[in-house]
Formats: sequence, C-alpha cells, structure tokens
Amino acid sequence: MKKLLFIITLFIATISEAQTKSILIMNATAHLGNGTVIQNSLIGIKDGKISLVADATTAKIDKAAYDEVIDATGKHVYPGMIAPNSTLGLTEIDAVRATNDFREVGSSLPNVRSLIAYNTDSKIIPTVRSNGVLMAQITPRGGIVSGTSSIVMLDGWNWEDAAYKIDDGIHVNWPRIQSRKYLDEDNIYPGPYEKNKEYSRQVNELKKLIGDAKAYNETETKEEKNLRFEAMKGIFTGAQTLFIHVNNVKEIIEAVSFVKSNSIPKVSLVGGRESWMVAELLKENNISVVVARVHDLPDRPEDDVDQPYKLPALLQKAGVLFCLNNEQGEMEAANTRNLPFMAGTAAAYGLTKEEALMAVTLNTAKILGIDKTVGSIEVGKDATIFISSGDALDMKSNNVEQAFVKGISIDLNNDQKALYEKYKKKYGLK
Amino acid sequence: MKKLLALSLGIALAFAAAAQETFPVNGTSNKNHTTYAFANVKIVVDPETTIENGTMIVKDGMIIAVGAKIMIPKGAVIYDLKGKTIYPGLIDAYTTYGMPEVKKVPAWGPQMESNIKGAYGWNAAVKAETEANKIFTDDSKTADEMRRLGFGAVLTFQKDGIVRGTGAVVSLGDGRENELVIKDKASAMYSFDKGSSSQDYPSSLMGAIALLRQTYLDADWYKKDKSKKEYNISLESFINLQGLPQIFETTDKLNVMRADKIGDEFKVSYIIKGSGNEYQRLDDVKATSCKLIIPLNFPIPYDVEDAYEANNVSLAELKHWEMAPANPLALEKNFIPFAITTADLKDKKDFWKNLRKAISYGLSEKQALRSLTITPAELLNLSDKLGKLQNGMIANFIITSGNLFDEKTVIYENWIQGNPYRISDYNAVDVRGNYDLSYGPNRNTYQLKIEGEPEKLKATIIADTAKAPATVAVSGNSISITFNSKELAGIVRLSGNLNKDPLFMNGKGQLPDGSWITWSATYTSALNADVKKDTAKKQPPTYGQVIYPFCAYGQKADDRDGFDKVVNDFKNRYDAILIKHVTVWTNEAEGILKNQDVYISEGHIVRIADDINASTLAFAKVIDGTGKHLTPGIIDEHSHIALISVNEGTQASSAEVRMGDVINSEDISIYRQLAGGVTCAQLLHGSANPIGGQSAIIKLRWGRSPEQLKFAGADGFIKFALGENVKQSNWGDANVIRFPQSRMGVEQVYYDYFTRAKEYDAKQKLSALSKTGAAFRRDLELEAIAEIMNKKRFITCHSYVQSEVNMLMHVGDSMGFQVNTFTHILEGYKVADKMKARGIGASTFSDWWAYKMEVKDAIPYNAALMASMGIITAINSDDAEMGRRLNQEAAKTIKYGGLSEEEALKTVTLNPAKLLHIDNKVGSIKVGKDADVVLWSDNPLSIYARVEKTIIDGQIYYDNEQDLKLREEMQKERARIIQKMIEEKKNGGATQKPVVRKQKLFGCDSMQEDYLETQ
Repeated sequence: MKKLLFIITLFIATISEAQTKSILIMNATAHLGNGTVIQNSLIGIKDGKISLVADATTAKIDKAAYDEVIDATGKHVYPGMIAPNSTLGLTEIDAVRATNDFREVGSSLPNVRSLIAYNTDSKIIPTVRSNGVLMAQITPRGGIVSGTSSIVMLDGWNWEDAAYKIDDGIHVNWPRIQSRKYLDEDNIYPGPYEKNKEYSRQVNELKKLIGDAKAYNETETKEEKNLRFEAMKGIFTGAQTLFIHVNNVKEIIEAVSFVKSNSIPKVSLVGGRESWMVAELLKENNISVVVARVHDLPDRPEDDVDQPYKLPALLQKAGVLFCLNNEQGEMEAANTRNLPFMAGTAAAYGLTKEEALMAVTLNTAKILGIDKTVGSIEVGKDATIFISSGDALDMKSNNVEQAFVKGISIDLNNDQKALYEKYKKKYGLK
Repeated sequence: MKKLLALSLGIALAFAAAAQETFPVNGTSNKNHTTYAFANVKIVVDPETTIENGTMIVKDGMIIAVGAKIMIPKGAVIYDLKGKTIYPGLIDAYTTYGMPEVKKVPAWGPQMESNIKGAYGWNAAVKAETEANKIFTDDSKTADEMRRLGFGAVLTFQKDGIVRGTGAVVSLGDGRENELVIKDKASAMYSFDKGSSSQDYPSSLMGAIALLRQTYLDADWYKKDKSKKEYNISLESFINLQGLPQIFETTDKLNVMRADKIGDEFKVSYIIKGSGNEYQRLDDVKATSCKLIIPLNFPIPYDVEDAYEANNVSLAELKHWEMAPANPLALEKNFIPFAITTADLKDKKDFWKNLRKAISYGLSEKQALRSLTITPAELLNLSDKLGKLQNGMIANFIITSGNLFDEKTVIYENWIQGNPYRISDYNAVDVRGNYDLSYGPNRNTYQLKIEGEPEKLKATIIADTAKAPATVAVSGNSISITFNSKELAGIVRLSGNLNKDPLFMNGKGQLPDGSWITWSATYTSALNADVKKDTAKKQPPTYGQVIYPFCAYGQKADDRDGFDKVVNDFKNRYDAILIKHVTVWTNEAEGILKNQDVYISEGHIVRIADDINASTLAFAKVIDGTGKHLTPGIIDEHSHIALISVNEGTQASSAEVRMGDVINSEDISIYRQLAGGVTCAQLLHGSANPIGGQSAIIKLRWGRSPEQLKFAGADGFIKFALGENVKQSNWGDANVIRFPQSRMGVEQVYYDYFTRAKEYDAKQKLSALSKTGAAFRRDLELEAIAEIMNKKRFITCHSYVQSEVNMLMHVGDSMGFQVNTFTHILEGYKVADKMKARGIGASTFSDWWAYKMEVKDAIPYNAALMASMGIITAINSDDAEMGRRLNQEAAKTIKYGGLSEEEALKTVTLNPAKLLHIDNKVGSIKVGKDADVVLWSDNPLSIYARVEKTIIDGQIYYDNEQDLKLREEMQKERARIIQKMIEEKKNGGATQKPVVRKQKLFGCDSMQEDYLETQ
C-alpha cells in the first residue's frame, strides 16, 4: 500500500493550491460522462472536487452552503473533454520550424519527454479549451520510439503546474509494412505507396530495444546507466502505458503478439484504423484503442464511405475500450478544438450521444489511467467540468459559457475572440 | 491470262534490273536476281482472301505474282510448301526499334529555360525536329526477337517529348540501314509526356496540353509571318509534320478523349496509341472516331491468397485483370478500327500468348490478322507496299505450319524484303507420337512416347507399368534417345537415323556396360491426349461487366452482357421524383417551409406545394420525406477533387492551363462528396503561382465522362494566388530562383502581366480589323488575362493577409478589373469594408488556422463578420475530406459569429452559387431551377444529420440504401475475381504483390510532382 501511495505522489504532481470557491450548479442537464444523464441536476463543487451530484427534482439542497450558485436552467454540464495523443503546446505554427518542438532527431528516444517543452502560453490552447477540451496528453512525434508523454490540464502558469500525470506513457510508432516516401525534402509531395523493405529489420530492432530494456530493468546491478532503458521502466511494471501507434491490421496482429510475449501490462493502440477487424483479439488481451481522427477519409476507394465515422461504433459494439483523438499531422494542434464534433460525428454514425461523450471523457481517462480522479462527473472526482448553453457535441450549439479546472473557473477568452471584438467595433457591428 | 502474267513479270524484271546503289564493293560484286517460287501452298492474301493451293513468286525483294495458277518462270528456286501456309508479314505501328536510348538528366533545382543549344524553340519538350530515319540503326538482336513473332516491318520513333518528330517505317531485316528504311517520314508522333526534358515547364498534364495547344498556334503564326524575325527550327519542323499521319500516345482511356479534343481544336485527326483500357469508356472512345493502335499488356494476377493483403488490390485492378483481354474484342464489336502493337509488353515473348488470349475472349482471327497487317499499313499510308500478299508489294511474308492463330502453329520462316530468316526447320520431321521400341541383346519391346513442342521434346519409355523419362534430340535426319534403365542399372544411349515416310527410326546404341547394340522404333499411333484438351478449352471465358466509372462504387450502365451495344445510359434513373412531407430549406424569401411536397421532373424543380397527389404523376418515384430535410445541393467553391493534376507552378503565370482539360471522372472523391451532399464544385488550379490556371466548374455526375461532368454554360474563372505559396516560402532552400520571392514581387507580376495583356488585347483587336492580313501570334496566356479585363473571365484569388488583399484590389482599380472572389481570405475581416465597397465576394474556411505564418491572425468569426458586412460569403473545403461535411463547417458560422441557420446554410449553397455566377440555375429550391437537392435525415446543420439522397439534375446520384447494395455487390464481385485469380495462380500463372494505391494518378510519372497541398 505504501508503495502504491508513493507512485501516486510521484505521478500526480503537486499543483499550487489556489483558493477555490464552493459552487452549486443548478438545473442543468448533466451529462455525467459515464453514460448517465440527469435532466435536471444539482452539481456541487467543494475544494476543487465534485461534492454533490443529484437530481434536482428529488434532492433537497441548502444553497447557502455554497459561495456561488449558478442557475444553468436549459444548459448542459459535461466533464471536461480530454485530448489524448496531442501536440498542443509543442507547436505554434506548422510551417514555421522554430515553433515546432514535437520531434527529436533519432529513431529510439523513450527518454525524450514532452512535458518540459509544453508551452502553457501557446495561443492555440485558449481556443481549444473554450470548446470544452480541458485536458490533454502531450505527446511527442516521430521515429520508432518517439518518447514519453505527460498529461496536463489546459490551464496553468507553466508546465509544472499544468502537469496532471507526469510521464504517463511511452509512444511507439510500429513500423509500416507499406511506406510512402515524400518526393521532396519538405514533405509536401507524397509519393506512391511502396512496400517497406526495411519492415522486418525495423520490427526486430524495436523488439530488441524493448527486450533489452526489460532485461536491463530486471537486472539488480547495472554496469552502466542507460537513460533510454531507464525511461521505459514503467511499461514493464504497469506504471506507464505503452502506446503503440499502428493502423494496419497485420501490423496490429504482430504488435499484439509482441506485447503479449513480453507481458507488458498496459497497452493501448493509437490510430487503429483497421483495429475493428481484430476487435476480438484486442478485447481478449485487454488492449484499448485511441481511435484515429474520425473526420478523415477511408484508406481505400473500396472502403465503406463512412468507415472512419463508424469505426468508434464498431469498437463499441465489439466491446473494445476506445477513445477519440485528433492526430492528423498538419494543423493537428489547432484542430483539437474540433474534438467534441468528432464525438458528434461518431454519434451520427452508430454511437449513442452519451457513448460518444464517453469517448472523449471517461474512456479517455481510463485509457490514460486517470479515471480515478477525472473523466466523469462523480462525487470525489476533480471538478474539471464545463457548462454549455447547448449540446456540446454539435457545432451549431456548442457554446461553452463557463469551465472549471479543479473547481477553478478558467478564462474562456482567446486572441481570436479579441480580434473579433476589435473589428466588430471598427465596423460598428453589434 | 497467261500472256498478261508474263507481261507483268517482264515489267517487274526490267524495273528490278534498273536498281542501282552508291556503295563501293570490296572484292567481287555479288549481284543476285534469283526468282523464288513458293508452290503448293495455302496463301492468305489478306484477312478476306485465301488461296487454298497457290503459288507466289518473289524477286528482288518484291512479290511479282500470287495466284492459284501461276506459271513458275524458268530458273526459279522452287519451294514446295505442301501443307503449309503463307501469311503477310506482320506490321507493328508503334515501336522504338533501333532508336538510341533516351537519357533523362534530372535538373538540380529549378530550370526555367531549355538547355538545348541552337536555334530551337523555347521548350525542350517540343522535339518536333527529331527524325527517326536519321537516328535509326540496325539492331539485329531486337530484330530477331520481332521476326520470331512474325513481324517484318515496324514504325519506329524516338519516344521522347510531347512532340516527338517523325517516325520511320523500317524493315526488320539485317543489313545496311540504307536498305532497311521503307519510308523515311511515315508519321508525326505526340504524347502528353515531356520525356527527357529537365525544363520545369510543363510539370503537369494540363501544362503539357497547354504547351501543345500553344505550339499549334505558334506554328500557324510562324507559317504566315512574312517578316520571319525569329528563325525557329522546332516550329519549322512542326509545320513539316502536319501532312503526315499523326500518332498520339495515351496512357489511359481518358487521355484518348483529351488528345482528341486537342485534335478537334486544330482540325487534326489523331491515330491514338491506346493503353489497353479503352473498353472502360468505350462509347466515349468511339465518339472520338479515332483509329487506335492498342497494346496487349494484360496484367498478370495479383497475389491475393492473404485476405488482408488482398484488400490492397483495388476493384479496378481486379476487374481490369479479368477484362483487359476483352479490350480488342470490345473495339472490334464496336467497329473501331485498330492496329495491334507489341508495345508496352514487359516481355515480347508474351505477344502470341496474349493475342491468343484475346482471341479466346472472342476477338475474331480475321480482325487479329487485319490489325497486324492491313490496318497498320493503312494507318501509315503504306497499303500499296505492305500488309497483303499481292503483286507489287514488298516481299514480307511468313511461312507457318498452319493457322497462324492456333496454339500449335509454328512459324518456320519469316521472309523480309525477299530474304529468308529461318525460325524453325519445316523440313524437320515431327517425331511426336507413340512407338514400339526394341533394343538390346534380346530386342525386348518397350513403348516409347514422344511429346511436347518440336523445339522441346519430352519422351517416356514404358515397360509394362514402369515409366522412365527419356531425353530426345532431333537434328535433321538424326535422332538420339537417352534414358535411365532400371533393368540394366544405368544409362542407355541410342543414336540413329530418322525415316520420314513412314516414320521409322533405327541405329546403334551403347548400354551402361559399354557394349554396343542395335535398336529400332516403329511409329504405332498419334498422341491422343491433346485432342481432349482442345475441345475442353474452347469455352470462351466469362467476365464481369464494365462499371462507370471503372472503380469502386462504379455502376453498371445496364444489364447487357459483353460489348455488343454501348450506350452509357444508366439504369435506376428517374424521369420524375416526388418528395412528400419534407422540410424544405428554400434559400428564397419563403425561408424554411415545413411539410411540403416537392416535384422534380426532367432535371428541374417543377412544383413546391402543400400536397401534390402522386397518383396524377405518371412514372414518378415517390420518396417519403417525413421528418427529413431537403436542401439545395452543396456547392464547394474551392475544390481540387476529380483532377489529374492541380498545379502548373513552374512559372509565375500559368493562365493558359485549363483544369477542364484534366478532369478525372474516376476519382472516388466524387462519390464520397456526393455522400456528403455536394452536387457542384469549382475545381481550381493550385496556389503555386500568382496567376494560376483556368477553373472548371462541375456537377458531381458520378459515372459520367469528364466532359459530361462540366457545368454547361458556366462563366470562365481563373485562379490567382498571393502570399507564402506563390513566393515559395515553405518550399525549402532550393526554391529561391523563381520570381517572385516576396509580396513586393507579387504586385509587380500582376502589373507586368496585366500591362502586357492590355497591349496584346489592343493588338489583337487591331489585327482583326486590319486588312493587310499580317500574321498575329495568338498567346493563350495573355488572352486569358485579357478576358479578365473584358469581363469574360473572373478571378478567384487565394489570399490570406490584409496587405496583399488590399494590394490586389488596388491593382484591379488601376488596371480596370475587379476580383470576383477572394478565397481562403482569412484576414478578410480586416478589410471587409474595402471588399464590400468593391462588391468582392469571399470564400473562406470555417476554422482553419495556425498552419503557416500568414494564417496566424485567422479567426473562425471571419465568415460571420464578412457576411454581416454584406459580403457574399461562402465556406469552402479545399480538402477532399472536409468537402464531404461542408454542412458541419457551415454550421460553425452559427457558433462563431452567430449567423442564423438559414444564413449558415447559404454559405455552402446559394452564396457559392452566386460567387460562381450559377445562382440562376442552382443554389436554392425554386421552381424552374435545376433539381440539385439533398435529402437529409435531420437538420442539415446538425452534426447528427446524414445524407440520404443526393440528386443532381433530377437524378439520384447517391442513395444511402443503394450505397449498401453497391458495397455488397462490390464484395461479391471482388470475391468472384479473387477466386479466379487464385485458380490461375494454382495453374502456374505468375503473380504480382498487391500494393496500396490511395490516390490513383493517371498519366506519366512526371505528373506526380504536382500533387501539392494547396491551402
């Protein structure tokens, strides 16, 4: 027990204890994020935690016990959405190299840590949280082992106090059976797909790296310290999740058999565009999927026209734990603000609305290993929630009026709103 | 009759005797005027005429007589060819035989100008001056390969460039080139492939087309221009090409139509070198009236045993594998004249195998022969010399064992210009059969069976039930048989003589112990196993139907089989549709109407009313719209789908290129966007240069040909671009050469081009009035820009930051034009007042930003703010993915900036229609307008809305229920062909590995460079 406690204190970093008010949100439709909806709800916040979740039609409540009472009649309350596998804060402008901090040189860099490059002052972040996305897993890109991710709250003075779970996972890009080279040095012109002749060599190298790291971490006395191996320790103990970025079904099968043979306790696939074809295998092995961008095109002309839209529903039906993400390469950080609408599209193509919400809240928290403290509106969890005047999964009604991170109301303004106001004023528009 | 024959013989002799040559002789001269007579032979004079038992006389390389009763002149060498057949020598009208190798040296960095030295034209891809006859050299190895297939003469040319100069017809004989060239300037050669040219322009298919077009105009001017201030070898040569047969190489069926379109413009009728997939759009190919030269490059099966990997083989590839051998049949059935070439075969040895395959699919033998003899001769204007066995023709012919198209047939000799090339010996004894063999001291009798091909015999020795393989070698009249005898525990070797009639062989041999013995074998019976096989094989193969387009989600045109009647008239189309009880978003003053009936007929919206009685409307399909929403079709103002190439960004202006030249009707994006409710799109040139190319506006009529996709009667538009893309900011350090490299330069590009275009326009108008008839050089680039000033072409300008937007508005003010639409225009909100004052429209993204420096200040409130300022504002995609959910993007204008739902929907329907000047036909639901409408499951601006039906011109092009059926059909069709493929693999067929092709690009490799992101 003591040991467990130690781990928790290590990973849940201390955040400056801001003064939090106690708040009561009344009469909203509460989407708890665990599948339950309370049409007319009472939600209490105390000491940054949710202290009350009740049905207003039956529960008796003393309003005076709260510093602030918010009447949210006709509005909706949601748990803060979580963007897994994100480069938020690691990039500002795609085309400007100086602003990009998500890729390091080399192919096996488990020890490279995203957290310390996470820029809390990125102009993109305020545009994201104003749509209801309040947390993110900041993740490096590139290479075969890209590095170590961390989970942050999208509010904080610096990375240190934004950190929620430090070094939560190691990210591996499974080698591709088919690869596509760019025809130019700036990776603008993609060439045709070609069979990757290096595939088996790359897979063997990856297997060797992980095998060696496992052996290293099991050895009592280390002859020489190896930073890369040390960085991977957590994936063998279960303290960290191994995130394998993989889409092709054959690659998925190989990846699953590999993690099985190395008894890696916590594994999640990122992408998983063809994961539905082997859903049983994933379910049996308790492997979750961080589903590829929903707003994307099918891979092949023959694929179902709505294949990426319905992938979440296929996994839901098969009983595989999954969540949604926005990885897309270009504009992926800026587009994180559309995460709610990807859930909306998934709901249009087979999920129920509450299942769709789970795919960006509680499921994500489960996959990231933070569901004990966030991801749903439940007593005892962090009050990281928001109020929208309408259905937050639908862009025509998503309108975040108030958001709280650990019970503290956050600023929902951003530079874009400021420019809007400035020019409205110029033109005399209301 | 006899007398007449004798007379003509006399003339021929006299003519031949007069032949002289220039080359000195080393040693004693060897003049040879032998007459050869081929007697008792079946002569296939041409596909229609066969002489069962005739004689042909050849002298001095020419046929001097052919007939049933020919008197053989005295002193002739007589070949008695009883049982054999003579065919005309085959002609291949598309080879590079004897041409030097073309080497491409890639340029390092941008290369704006041609690097060819001399007084040639400006572009290195126009190689009109190439003359095959001057660079042809004898290549006996390739000649031998072609001769073995039966060919005697070929057209050869240098396969390099868009204009490739002249081709020459040469003989496949060995010898001095002087004797081999049959026709020095036989044809003019063209393609869309710039070949070895390392010059940047053209980098795209539309650039290649534009270059060819301008070359025709330049040549015309050059011819008429009397001042001749410019001497230009390329244009001189181009002019000289024009009298010849014009052969155009294509690499895809759609390119056949593209080439023909150019031909129509300049009144040239091209002979099209096809690619083998013409059957996929046969009626369009037929409509060109072009004659074709087609290859037999049938694909080999894919390795599809692994079910996961097999997913990577596209439906188009599977179906083409099955149907490619039917291409010649399809052409024959539709009376499209065509020659057959060995071109494009990976291994020329596959020629006969593939031709026989085509015949097994139904191609007639007569047509096959015609396509290899008469047709190529006609195409090359050589009907008087080649292609038939007639008096006065060149003595090119082949001697075969029988029907040329039969698998068993052997070509014995190929005579070219009267000289024999032996392929296999027709005097050789055919030893195949069953024998009684006796050998050894006891003269025991065994069974001997000899089978296989004459060149590759196999034998078996049978003693009771034991079988031993034996090797047999025949050389002239001697034979040897070697086998391992179990009985004697070693190898027995027999050698002996062959007696032909009756078949009998005997001689001496050595046993394993070295002792000599005698042996003999007597023919007992013919092989009979083959007879069975032959009859079993006659079943013609079955194959699926052509789908339109020829890819996933393509549909059959009708239920007919084969290629008997080609009318691309789709089934499941309706004359009239009645949608009942639907919520109608009219985009008109009426606003959103609930519970309405909408009646569509003959492509138009006919009635909108509370209740229309279905029973009064004959033939109408009735759709229940209860709880559903009907909107005008979505119009994407900025799209790059359905194009072969996007950018011709090699020069600061490419105003001459036309996206309409490169529409790709087979792009799956069309179907996917229909599934997102898109009915209409402006296909724009990319943003690589300040002045891009001319747009194409299309309706997404999935299945139709490129020309049928075009929006009839739409105004002409042209793409302009500003900012980082045109100054190549993000193209890497090598791209710092092409002007402009800064926003300052961009302004000057415009001033320069508009100034020149203005002057050009004035000159052109003057020239039209002038009576002197002085030559005027039409310049398609300046003409397109002049059209802008004459309000005949309208600008859609890619733009981001306020400074550049302001700049172009000022250029417009001073040069007398107005920008029609600023597209992207992410800082439009900063200059909305200035745009409004000039009546300029905007087409923008809903919420894109942060992808490059110039979109740092982009705000999602932009669209709503501009709309609030009274600017006609559209939301566009510029992206194949976002294009299929533009309704969602439109809905963001409600979230960001508070547009009403009606106004939001207009940003993807009526407003883009206005920007494209097509709002008189589309963009709203109004009686009389085109019936381009979408039926949604929900409020179209809701994320939960799904498209149920997309209707264009009153016809359903996407139907969510039909979609499920198509998926099912596709799966069945794939499974069927995959079964067949695996079967073929089991039977020993070679296979190829599947590779994913996400985006199929037609045209040559060089075209792939322009696959450029365009935001």
